[in-house]
Amino acid sequence: MSAQQDTKQVILETKSIVKQFPRVLANNDISIKLHKGEILSLLGENGAGKSTLMNVLYGLYTQTSGKILLNDQEVEFNSPKDAIDFGLGMVHQHFMLLDPFTVTENIILGAEPGKFGTIDYKQAREEVKAISEKHGLKVDPDATVESLSVGLQQRVEILKALYRKANILILDEPTAVLTPQEVDELFEVIKGLRDSGVSVIIITHKLEEVMAISDRVYILRGGEVVGERKTSETSKTDLANLMVGREVVLTVEKEDKEAGDQPVFKIEDLRVLNQKNYPAIDGLSLDIKPGEIVGIAGVDGNGQSELAEALIGLLPVDSGKVIHLGDDITDLSTKHRIKRSISYVPSDRHRHGLVLPMTIGENIMIGYHDRTPYVKSGFHLDYKYINSHAAELVEAYDIRTPDVQNPAEKLSGGNQQKVILAREFSRDPTFLLVSQPTRGLDVGAIEYIHRQILAMRDHNVAILLISLELEEIFALSDRIEVLYEGRIVKEFDPKQTDHKEVGYYMTGGKE
Amino acid sequence: MDKKMLKPVVFILSILLAVIGTTLYMGTYFSGLLFILAAVAVFLVYRWLESGKTALIDLLKAGARTLMVPFFGIIIAIVIGAIVMLASNYDPIESYRALFYGAFVRNWYVSVLNAAPLMFTGLSVALAFHAGLFNIGAEGQYYIGAMAATFLGLNMNLPPVLSLVLIFILSGMLASAWNIVPAVLKVRTGAHEVITTMMLAHTARYLSPIFIRAHGGDPSTSDHAYVTDQLPETNWLPRFNSFLPDANYRLHVGILVGIVMALLVYYLLYHTRIGFEIRAVGENKDAARAQGISVGKAIMMALLFAGFLAGLAGVNQVVGLDHKLYENLSAGYGWNGISVALLAGSHPIGVIFTALLWGALDAGGQYMARVTDTSNSIVEIIKGIILFLVVAKYIYAYLGNRIRRYRRRTQEAAKEAT
Repeated sequence: MSAQQDTKQVILETKSIVKQFPRVLANNDISIKLHKGEILSLLGENGAGKSTLMNVLYGLYTQTSGKILLNDQEVEFNSPKDAIDFGLGMVHQHFMLLDPFTVTENIILGAEPGKFGTIDYKQAREEVKAISEKHGLKVDPDATVESLSVGLQQRVEILKALYRKANILILDEPTAVLTPQEVDELFEVIKGLRDSGVSVIIITHKLEEVMAISDRVYILRGGEVVGERKTSETSKTDLANLMVGREVVLTVEKEDKEAGDQPVFKIEDLRVLNQKNYPAIDGLSLDIKPGEIVGIAGVDGNGQSELAEALIGLLPVDSGKVIHLGDDITDLSTKHRIKRSISYVPSDRHRHGLVLPMTIGENIMIGYHDRTPYVKSGFHLDYKYINSHAAELVEAYDIRTPDVQNPAEKLSGGNQQKVILAREFSRDPTFLLVSQPTRGLDVGAIEYIHRQILAMRDHNVAILLISLELEEIFALSDRIEVLYEGRIVKEFDPKQTDHKEVGYYMTGGKE
Repeated sequence: MDKKMLKPVVFILSILLAVIGTTLYMGTYFSGLLFILAAVAVFLVYRWLESGKTALIDLLKAGARTLMVPFFGIIIAIVIGAIVMLASNYDPIESYRALFYGAFVRNWYVSVLNAAPLMFTGLSVALAFHAGLFNIGAEGQYYIGAMAATFLGLNMNLPPVLSLVLIFILSGMLASAWNIVPAVLKVRTGAHEVITTMMLAHTARYLSPIFIRAHGGDPSTSDHAYVTDQLPETNWLPRFNSFLPDANYRLHVGILVGIVMALLVYYLLYHTRIGFEIRAVGENKDAARAQGISVGKAIMMALLFAGFLAGLAGVNQVVGLDHKLYENLSAGYGWNGISVALLAGSHPIGVIFTALLWGALDAGGQYMARVTDTSNSIVEIIKGIILFLVVAKYIYAYLGNRIRRYRRRTQEAAKEAT
């Protein structure tokens, strides 16, 4: 198939697109071609310029210079409406849907059929049904969006574009929010669309995705195209090296290590209620020994966040026990757990991990702001010490910032995560709870963070890793526990299982 | 070695100059300004000695950038004020001359008298803002502070200094206790402090007439029926003219207490543990909680401190200026404190200046209305516009983007033309 593509008709082309922001050159001389009926990936790290390019294509930004050609005709999009009129459709990473409205209402919104300001719902419903059947995108046209799963909501977004007669579909990080099963279903849908003549552009930083679905890939780095590959003629390592601009290790090497015998952290028959008073964790027991990483695999929403919050003292425990170094800490406050050398890397670094407007120094100190040597005579904060201590950690953890007095919000995602790691890892924890440590980070940062977590294991720390990425679970864990509906349903030795088997239990052992 | 010796000397010199300058200037000795300027110059020398030339330049640049927005806002507000005056047939030049002459020269002491209570209430609102709370009820805490100060001032017979200190602390604490109910409700049930403090503000305000009648003087000997007895002179705040003979006889040292409080609030917020916790909770209470900070405690502390500060505004008026409590329900120092805090971007040091500006505009407005035909409601218009232009900072980001886009377009056009 790839051989034919060169002869295929070019449907969309950009010529030397340059996009200059006040301080950043986001796109520098980008020329790409999209053929009719192909799946094209744009691969790049965060900040490589992928989203900027797509926003230029979609009429959200105006390019500083350069041209967009559609079927060899130069076009100018001043708004997404122009782009839609020319047959472009975009599915954003964060869906733009009205939750209380029905699927049909969401799809027709802005392009309602009917005369004189009335809406012909019957016709609309029929049309929506017809499109969804044609493309194999099954979804109930009368369901409200809020009642749909994330995967189905994404379908509604795709249908929205198709309803507007899109023949070029742009998907921005489409798998970021999906479960492994939903990802497979999405890929089927995308392939179906390609076969019916729709051209698809996928923006992503995930190598697996590129390899699994696309025909061709452009690799972007620092706002420039650094390579173009046919997927059939490349490898993950090749793509990763191009993307990062140096040799990267995709799966960090992990040496076998004997865990200690006495568990540092014990969870006994834990029950935690969520906000709706429904047991999110229901009878979970687990031991974590020093020098081992226990990986909790599971689909999002099976109790991961409740488990993490209960273990760190942010959510009350309904019943069961949490034991740390032989002491019952079930009812201990977060403050006292921190005092007991329990460290926590939260999954949402902006919400739970950092106080973004505060400085890097303050973010490294927070949690220890009530003890010497950070505090003198009980109330006076010693900023000289705070900042010099932070400067040492900035050096040790390779955090890229000109000054520890910069606010944390000025850092990139990877460097923000390193600030959290520096804070938690430097406190000599005995137990470390790590939740989705690499969410949204790019390959280079992932490699670094995985290395640091393994180094902590080699220092005999007991580590509980919660992650939605199976790759990560397999790369780091010494033991895999599958979490399903608030319970551990299966335990695996990562050497004696594979993604498929674990994935099967993650969805409750049902197809 | 010389440098090491020099640094503390320079630092102390700058502090000394600042203290002398501020005292003189607030006591209407305009030579005080020279001392203040000298203090700033010496302080810059100190910074240069401590961290070198580039750091000094950065400091100056950052300072200029912070001052740009308020400066710009004030200029625009003055221009718009002039347009309003022209449209209503007043002479803007004549009016502004009177306004500024009255505010900063002729009646500077009135400006200072006005600024003192605003400084306390402004600090109160600003501190609460740092915890993410809106202490809209500062007015109520003001009245509690004023009533407590009157009661204590009338009934306490202790050596002068001790009694004044006690009046300040006890009345402040009582005003702070007035905020316990909103604080507990906020922590326990999440009841919004805007509603609860506002309601309690009205309660406190209308408690004051009852209090005044209970402690009232003889209506036949006073032209003002609704006023309490006068405090004994031992419980009055010292006045500037006791050590600066040319100062106005009404001018008391409350403003200096206000400035000291501003410095203390600054220290509390930016250099202490509890201040750090308050700011962390205000910026991101989820992250603060995850690091073991008690959100409830921080909210509690912030609202109690805020109540204390607003209460001091009332104390200041009673023991400093009036020496009795009037049934004056329209002064609105609590409400105006919100403007003062917003204008200062909630920075405690900024509050010193915005309170003085607000006080000066009021004093200037009164003077202007007396010597020209112009109504002093013009001053309220100008105050509103300044606040609008300074608080709505996004306007500048928007204008900046527009200007950059225009420049780029013209550059591109020029490029294509060549």
